[in-house]
Amino acid sequence: MKLRTKLFIALRHLRSRMFQTFSVVAVVAFSVGLAVALFLAAQGLRLGLVRAVEPFELIVGAKGSPYQLLLNTVFLQDAPIGNIDWEDYTALSDDARVSSVVPLGFGDSYKGYPVVGTDSSLLKVRVRPSDPPWLKIKEGRWFREEELEKEELKKEKFEEFEAVLGIQVADRSGLRVGDSFRTSHGIVAGDEHDEEYRVVGIAETVQGPWDRAIFVPLEVLHRIHSPHNHESEHEHEDEDENENGHEHEHEHEHEHESGKEVTAVLVHPASYADAYRLAVSYQNDGEKQLIFPAQTAIRLFSLIGQGEAFLSIVVYAVAGCALLTTLLVLYWSGAARSRERALLHVLGLSRGTLIFISWLEGTITLLAGALLGELAGRAGAYGAFSILGSATAIHPAVPLTLQECLAPLVLLTVGSLSSLAVAWSDNRDLTDRLRG
Amino acid sequence: MGMEIGIKMENPAYSNLISPLLQVRGLRKEYMQPGGPVTALWLDFLEAGAGDAIVVTGPSGSGKTTLLHLLAALIQPSEGSIHFGGQDLDSVGDCSAHWRALSVGYVFQEMNLLPDFSLLENLMIAGEISKVPRALERSLFLLRRLGIEDLSHRRPGKLSLGEQQRAAVARAVLHAPPLLLADEPTASLDAENAGIVIDLLLELAGESKSLLLVATHDESVKKRFPRVLELTKNERRRQ
Repeated sequence: MKLRTKLFIALRHLRSRMFQTFSVVAVVAFSVGLAVALFLAAQGLRLGLVRAVEPFELIVGAKGSPYQLLLNTVFLQDAPIGNIDWEDYTALSDDARVSSVVPLGFGDSYKGYPVVGTDSSLLKVRVRPSDPPWLKIKEGRWFREEELEKEELKKEKFEEFEAVLGIQVADRSGLRVGDSFRTSHGIVAGDEHDEEYRVVGIAETVQGPWDRAIFVPLEVLHRIHSPHNHESEHEHEDEDENENGHEHEHEHEHEHESGKEVTAVLVHPASYADAYRLAVSYQNDGEKQLIFPAQTAIRLFSLIGQGEAFLSIVVYAVAGCALLTTLLVLYWSGAARSRERALLHVLGLSRGTLIFISWLEGTITLLAGALLGELAGRAGAYGAFSILGSATAIHPAVPLTLQECLAPLVLLTVGSLSSLAVAWSDNRDLTDRLRG
Repeated sequence: MGMEIGIKMENPAYSNLISPLLQVRGLRKEYMQPGGPVTALWLDFLEAGAGDAIVVTGPSGSGKTTLLHLLAALIQPSEGSIHFGGQDLDSVGDCSAHWRALSVGYVFQEMNLLPDFSLLENLMIAGEISKVPRALERSLFLLRRLGIEDLSHRRPGKLSLGEQQRAAVARAVLHAPPLLLADEPTASLDAENAGIVIDLLLELAGESKSLLLVATHDESVKKRFPRVLELTKNERRRQ
């Protein structure tokens, strides 16, 4: 008998019991989709972490939890630990072990998007020396710093400063080049500053959390949060302060009277050895810490990985149940067809051919479920991660790998072999089925 | 052209045989039961030639169905031998399905057809298994001959029992088998349809010179056949 006819018989059998076929395909697709989505979440998180961490070789910040420094600086999540003195930043920039530094100031936000005070040195950051700059301007230009220092900062009353938006801020807030906006204290909506920023540029995507950043001149942050500036602001806020209690306590940490501060410094060491020498020099520092973001991220991921392992067990259990359901349905529908198989045997189909047709039915069902599950898992994960992506640092576009296909392949292989066993069992004693 | 395909189709492999087409000697079939082996069939001798038509009768449990299963090489005898066309069916062994596809046509009492396939598809599948040349033309010819051509795209469930049995006969004779077996083919039919089915079996078996064996309880069917093989329940249990 031709393979085409065997396939025709198998497909017709599957079609005639549409409900069972659909149920099995759905159960298999669900379990495979779940496994694929979990795998993609883990891979996406790994890739997202790698991509997000890549531009940050070393970070120096206030003493505290290294995870918090990592989350705050690299992922723009959580509140800053605190600030370090401007002198510490300048000392780093003059350090022979350091190739370049980027000052970073956090603490303000606009509609939940974090404001990052920095300067043009950020535009020189490259993941690898041969790579193009990590942050590029897509539309408009980078903010002016020199003119700002000379002109605007000398004014008694600030009116408008310049800002560059991360691509996601531009996409979701509706702000365009030329628009103005006001920032607030804190990482959630707090009291609005009087000063307005005007959008002068929009950055290209960095495919990471910094797509949510609003870049402003660090000098402006210093001036906005300077004691002098806040005196006038606080005149109007004294009554509110009493009501809000310590709400702004944290944000105001960087308003030391000693002068300018930075929240963190992105450090590019002169060499690999210098990076470790620098790390050693910060080990006994009581006020500051130096972290290797990649190492800290790996430790963070290993913590997350424990949850992933538990979820994997759940997924394997679901896949096992799906396999069992498939085999039971195959067995039952096979048993219901015993008379038909006996007829085909009388017509001259060998037992081997009958087993092959039964196996084909099981394998087609499993294959359809596995493919559908793979597609659904990928589509679902891509959709979910695209929405959550920048907030969770999960990279949505995970390339297809053999490892990802492992779950559907294992299910398909085990299921296919098991359905062979079911087919063998169904096709025993065919002649007995002709009686009665 | 279609008519010629239907009428002239016969198996030439057995046409020049000198010895009988079917030779049965000392045939015994036993089944193991909790109380010991049970003899389902004991047939000492049977010979028949191409074109013969034999009715197999006997009480329930006398081994009519078992005999047909043995002749179709669906089961192996416990003792004795069956030679068909000079070939010992014991030697067919693992190739019994292939041998059956080429040499045997089989009609059951009911549920002869695959329920998920139309009449024509049932015949086409059988045609492919038996490697029937120009199976589509031959199938349509037979369906027309049996008066059910206009039902060819219907599934068995949509047909009456009489129509289903006629389709089963068409499928059984599709490859003009040298051995045509029918197990109670009229048991589920009324007298009129039973008569039609027996007529068709005799007619088509005669045209293709098939050896026809029909197992039945029906006395009216019995009268239609020139040869009767009476099976008894004697010595069913072996001492």
